[in-house]
Amino acid sequence: MERYWNKEIETMSREDMKKLQDERLVAQVKHVYENVKYYRDLMDEKGVKPEDIKGTDDLHKLPFLSKADLREAYPYGLLAKPLSDCVRIHSTSGTTGKRVVAFYTQNDLDMWADCVARAITAAGGTNEDVVQIAYGYGLFTGGSGLHDGSHKVGCLTLPMSSGNTERQIQFMQDLGATILCCTPSYAAYIGETIEEMGIKPEDLKLKAGIFGAEPWTEEMRQTIEKSLGIKAFDIYGLTESSGPGVAFECCEQNGMHINEDNFIAEIIDPETGEVLPEGEVGELVFTSITKEAFPLLRYRTRDLCVLSRKKCSCGRTLVKMAKPMGRSDDMMIIRGVNVFPSQIETVLIAEGYAPNYIIEVDRINNSDTLDIVVEMKPEQFSDKVKDMQDQERALALAIKTMLGINPKVHLVSPKSITRSEGKAVRVIDKRKLHDKPAK
Amino acid sequence: MANVRQISVFLDNKPNQLTGVMKLLKENGINLRALSIADTKDFGILRMIANDTDKTVEVLRKASYVVADTEVVAISIPDTPGQLSRVLDILGSDNVNIEYLYSFLGKSDKSVSFVIRVDDNDNASAALEKGGIIQLTENDISEM
Repeated sequence: MERYWNKEIETMSREDMKKLQDERLVAQVKHVYENVKYYRDLMDEKGVKPEDIKGTDDLHKLPFLSKADLREAYPYGLLAKPLSDCVRIHSTSGTTGKRVVAFYTQNDLDMWADCVARAITAAGGTNEDVVQIAYGYGLFTGGSGLHDGSHKVGCLTLPMSSGNTERQIQFMQDLGATILCCTPSYAAYIGETIEEMGIKPEDLKLKAGIFGAEPWTEEMRQTIEKSLGIKAFDIYGLTESSGPGVAFECCEQNGMHINEDNFIAEIIDPETGEVLPEGEVGELVFTSITKEAFPLLRYRTRDLCVLSRKKCSCGRTLVKMAKPMGRSDDMMIIRGVNVFPSQIETVLIAEGYAPNYIIEVDRINNSDTLDIVVEMKPEQFSDKVKDMQDQERALALAIKTMLGINPKVHLVSPKSITRSEGKAVRVIDKRKLHDKPAK
Repeated sequence: MANVRQISVFLDNKPNQLTGVMKLLKENGINLRALSIADTKDFGILRMIANDTDKTVEVLRKASYVVADTEVVAISIPDTPGQLSRVLDILGSDNVNIEYLYSFLGKSDKSVSFVIRVDDNDNASAALEKGGIIQLTENDISEM
């Protein structure tokens, strides 16, 4: 028997859901227009008034918001509630000047926790479960998002945060964790470590994992499921729209149900902005229809994916999104760590290198690799191979100290990296997502 | 002491890197006496002894190559079994640490020459002299 956290919503007929979305959208547009000058200006510029939006069929009339808008409006420009009504802030990254901050009222946090509770329930979680949260806690939404959802379900919650893998495994064993929540690459790493320690999956009580915050492949899912003896579920979300829980996987494990009572999803042509019909691949756009403090309308996620309303065997009627096929954003998630090119640049400059470099990210044997191609300084050249390799290692160490992950550094000739006149292409992400969109 | 100048060039690990250098040397009428390449996964280091070191360095730098000009020891030994072993014994007994070495054609077909890269040229030269090994000078090289 399939279990639901909120059966009424999760199995609601399309007709009723559309009615609910229509009502909520109309109220939300009015709320945003009245309280967010930044978006009011965008609407005025486009000649759209709140009265023009009578329901979801009019959604396409609204202007888009992009990450650039969020940066421009940093920090309070898109806030729709007085700060005194807000209780929490999360951020996409605290380490660069380009951070995006999101605000939450208590109602926003409750809504978010409710979404996560649906995900945990869909993964088989009940108040009998012990949920080990190995996502990072802090400004990052992963830790507290899953934490609040786990509380809501009434699970015994282990707030481990990420890192210290041996302690994770010890707690997992000693306290009988049944559900693991972390990034998929960290789950794979825990799986490898368990094997190295001579622990068998059957020695653990784990039955499920909820993994998100970075793209992962079907192959990776199989590896994780085998190494930990679990079913691995994907979860989707972004700080801009709350955090993980915007969409979640059910027992079918072939796409994530979007919590449509809170988020309206559209797929658009990334070039023209035109809304594409169901089943076509395009950029995912979200409209938050219940968020109070930071209600983004038509936010462009940069994630490429496809939506499907095919009947799901789990009984949920919520629209399904396929795993995103790529994100054209500047943030990279490498081994579960947020990495910005600007952080690497900072180290290069501090070490006396020119800020001309290429970052290559790949995934080999389910583990992310980070290669940094840097132009050498003429004065550091030596006829001895040993000297050159020592310098590569020294730079790799400095970058590791900054990022917490080990890169490989490759020195190349000065001026051999192509200069760009516009925005430089510094990142080559070779991690192939083999998954084809669900049709 | 009579040392020889070696030119090293940084080469990216991609096609036609060596071709570029050689073309440049050809255009400038430079003749090479000795050449060796050290290769790693990321890059190569071309090491060579030329008949005109100053000119070689100048044309390479002008063409934006990363170049180093280092003094190395060069020797000439008879082309018979056990000669290199003898040289290594001499250097080893004086605790001279060799970074790398490579051979090139000798002055005659009865001898063979070696470039030896050590950290302390003076020490190495003194040891070789003591051991009766013929060392080549810049003059010898340009007259070859």
